[in-house]
Amino acid sequence: MTLDALATVLVSGLVMGSVYALMASGLSLVWSTLGIFNFAHGALMTLGAYLAWTLAGSGVLGLPPWIAMLVAVALVAAVGVLLERLLIRPFYGHRAMLLVTVMTTLAATVFLSKGIQLVWGPRLKELPALAPGNVSILGTSISAQEALIVGVAPIVLGALWAFLRFSSTGRGIRAVGQNPQAAQLIGIDVPRLFAIAFALAAALAALTGILIGSVRLVTPSLGDEPLIKALIIVIFGGLGSMAGTIWAAYLIGLAEALLVFTIGIYWAPSTLFLLLILVLVLRPQGLMGKVVR
Amino acid sequence: MTDALEVDGLSGGYDDYDVVSNIGLTVGASERVGLFGPNGHGKTTILNAISATLARRRGTVRFFGQPVDRARPQAIVAAGLIHVPQANTVFPDMEIQETLELAAWTPRARAARAENLDRVLALFPRLAERRRQLARTLSGGERQMLSIGVGLMCAPRMLMLDEPTLGLSPKLKDELAQAIATISAGGIPILVVEQDVAFVLSLVDRMYFVNHGAITREIGRRDAVDHDEIMAMYFGAGATA
Repeated sequence: MTLDALATVLVSGLVMGSVYALMASGLSLVWSTLGIFNFAHGALMTLGAYLAWTLAGSGVLGLPPWIAMLVAVALVAAVGVLLERLLIRPFYGHRAMLLVTVMTTLAATVFLSKGIQLVWGPRLKELPALAPGNVSILGTSISAQEALIVGVAPIVLGALWAFLRFSSTGRGIRAVGQNPQAAQLIGIDVPRLFAIAFALAAALAALTGILIGSVRLVTPSLGDEPLIKALIIVIFGGLGSMAGTIWAAYLIGLAEALLVFTIGIYWAPSTLFLLLILVLVLRPQGLMGKVVR
Repeated sequence: MTDALEVDGLSGGYDDYDVVSNIGLTVGASERVGLFGPNGHGKTTILNAISATLARRRGTVRFFGQPVDRARPQAIVAAGLIHVPQANTVFPDMEIQETLELAAWTPRARAARAENLDRVLALFPRLAERRRQLARTLSGGERQMLSIGVGLMCAPRMLMLDEPTLGLSPKLKDELAQAIATISAGGIPILVVEQDVAFVLSLVDRMYFVNHGAITREIGRRDAVDHDEIMAMYFGAGATA
């Protein structure tokens, strides 16, 4: 492999890894706080992209792309609060909470994606680029939009980390994830923090959806494939470990780029799965997961 | 002076089944009171019913005169009635100091955070040594100290301790008993659940015997309770013969 080729693999791996890290971090946050998988995560990505389209220049309202993005992210966070209230809160403490919420969040996915088709129709939409043009990194030319994703991901993930580590709400979110009973006994309003964590994850989903949508086109199924990928990444990284999720995202992004380059686009996905299965056979708790949960 | 805690006609349990019924007890404003009795007879459930962590409960609970039987758990904590649960693992993946700082969650507790942290670290020097360690790495005794420390960080006006010495060595038991005595000497009333009669007697002014989900006897400090009587309470009258 020449140095040029290596640079290409590295750059495209970083782009993919950044997208994966952003979309999986929200899923991971919901898992380690509420102890459920949110299957509506992909639909929330799609919703974010469509809302941004409507708000931005090419849509109805004609807001500048950055403002449109921020407003769309905030709106999806509000939808997250609503989903938590309607679909998850009624089942806190239920014996089969994990399974019931698989059903309710899958139901939400169906409602959201059919609703999106109803409102916006099946035609593809093009989001205005947040950063137009091309840039060259390590001799590889990529769109400025992709470069933006590579730059934004560490900032957003770093902010998320700092929020969870240092802010009192963030610490509270970690506390209710680790031991809701003990959290309640120090006076934490547990359902309120669940709602905040869920809304934050929804905001991350929307942000990812908008970033993906501005590189590709916006379709009603925009979030479907990323949802599956994000699930795999969260499991591979180790359930309950945000750091594991982020490492896994970049690792899988780079591995995928390398496989696409060496064995081609047809065999890359299945080979990647084979590798992941192999790793999980040898290390069932994932990269950084806890052995007992 | 108003009692710290007045409980009257308190019943509660899980699903359709009452674990405890018609509980009545009081804890004076600077009193130490024990709840003792055999395992599985409802001592923990009584504490859960008082701290509102038990969903199904009825009866009246007054905390310094204010009714709290309809309050949500976080409101009860905010009022200063702090429940330190049994075998609490607290937050396994959080550092000790971080855990203690977090425990000062309610506005009242947050206002006193720095001074309470100093107090806790002075009371339990071992926690001070391990302040950067994760809670999951603590030994059983240290975890119990952290659990009580967390309770103190909540700025308690009264503490309810559920088997604070469960599974600890006699030496550690003594250490914790001293810590609890220090806390109580600071004017904080305490309701402590214990199975170890000797231990609870050394710690409290008065105690209640809990049997089959009800309080069946009240024993003052001056009432001499001999071994046979306790055996009788635990195992029925036949056991003393």
